[in-house]
Amino acid sequence: MDSMEMNHSLPFDADPIQPAAAAATGRRPDSPQFTDDPMLDRLYGVTLALITELAVTRTRLDTVEKLLARRELVAGEEIEGFTPDDSEAAARSRLQAEYLDRVLRSLD
Amino acid sequence: MIYPAPWHTIGRHALLPAAQHDEMARFDMVAHLNAHVAQRLAPKVREAYESRVLNAWRMRQGHEPADRHEVAAAMKQDPAYRAFSLVRRNTMEIRQHAGRTLVAREAERLRAVAQAATEGAATLRLDPKLNLPRYVTAVDTHLMQGGYTAERIPADVSNAANYDAGMYATIGGSGGPWNDAAGRALVAWLKRHHPRFSPQCIVDLGCGLGHNTLPLREVFPDAAIIAVDVAAPMLRYGHARARARGFDDVQFLQADATATPLADSSADLVFTTMVLHETSRQALPKIFAEAHRLLRAGGLTLHLEQPPYRGLSAFEQFMRDWDGRFNNEPFWSALHETDCAALLAKSGFGSANVFESRCTAPPAGQSADGDEQQEDFGRAPAWYAVGAWQAAKGIAADG
Repeated sequence: MDSMEMNHSLPFDADPIQPAAAAATGRRPDSPQFTDDPMLDRLYGVTLALITELAVTRTRLDTVEKLLARRELVAGEEIEGFTPDDSEAAARSRLQAEYLDRVLRSLD
Repeated sequence: MIYPAPWHTIGRHALLPAAQHDEMARFDMVAHLNAHVAQRLAPKVREAYESRVLNAWRMRQGHEPADRHEVAAAMKQDPAYRAFSLVRRNTMEIRQHAGRTLVAREAERLRAVAQAATEGAATLRLDPKLNLPRYVTAVDTHLMQGGYTAERIPADVSNAANYDAGMYATIGGSGGPWNDAAGRALVAWLKRHHPRFSPQCIVDLGCGLGHNTLPLREVFPDAAIIAVDVAAPMLRYGHARARARGFDDVQFLQADATATPLADSSADLVFTTMVLHETSRQALPKIFAEAHRLLRAGGLTLHLEQPPYRGLSAFEQFMRDWDGRFNNEPFWSALHETDCAALLAKSGFGSANVFESRCTAPPAGQSADGDEQQEDFGRAPAWYAVGAWQAAKGIAADG
């Protein structure tokens, strides 16, 4: 049979407030497995999504820097040559250590 | 490294979803991931095949892989191919998710824009009673959730908007700002090979959102143009998009390409662009037969596709098979093994009237009848073309 009546509405309601959740995962039941362990395939999926989102964040930061430069509030070389003072440096160290504690938690 | 065009260079029209900063950045990353896959990872797959996989297979089997299936068996465990596939598949999933989240936010606004553009227009004809072919409704083609026909809300256009906006990221803008390179390639082929061919009625079967239909309007301003598709969301969006771009008289008709309501011998040009690989084996000959029914004597049917597998190396076939295996293109492999020229001949055209050719889109923004010498064939998108001329009906040469 080449054609048939089908209910072709999507299995979810669009939610304009949480579009990422509304759009579901995109992973289908027939998702292929490329590694020997299905969890490793999922880890690749998460990693590539993280790569994408990091690029999005870097682009947004770049936009902010460009806008600051256009309005002559902060020049590019000021960012490149920026040296934090002692208390700023201490605060940054704290942030960096805390960040590593978070993302490397599973290796503890 | 050839960089993809950033998403903000896409052609702007009233139906295009209004992407915010991060949504554009996400599309840009998708385009870059695809460029990385094509330019960095794909060559590594070939290298792996030639440097280790091929030899290992020869040692084990005593002969070279005989066909693409044996290449697949040989390559299945190879880390380069796995890495290539993991990144390519995930990039496609990220692209679809990025598009879905964008249009979920925009669905109601875009529907209102489309409805306003359609108000009082006789150029959009939908058929709510149409039996949608199962080969369209059952498949989330290239991982597009719900496929072409799905509707989130009544009178929805959002999957079409996702298709339009996301395609630009998927192909890195290589289709030009209007995603219409195949249509421009078809026009360039006609102008080069048949400059006096002047169709009065043109039918685009499986038009989708009509992106490849509109270049025909630009060069044949007096022709009646009918863009046919089974998917109402694509037609609603495509119709409104065409009008937003100033193409007010292109007709959009919801019908099955295997059995349109159009009259016998009413068209001079019946074409498809990248449609055949999304049709079932049963539908394909019926589409060709429908083209034959629609064409007047002296008319032309022309179909643009990726090249058939015959004549390509087993490795090349295997690499081109990726979309069939992993990108929800279930008819891809079968189509590329089908002799469409022979099928056209059998569909009433007669083998003497059938031809195969190649066509290339001129760079976007350049004249469609520009000098071949000025085109950058190394970069421009290129297609295989198969077609047939309509002899006087009933006397099709068969030789």
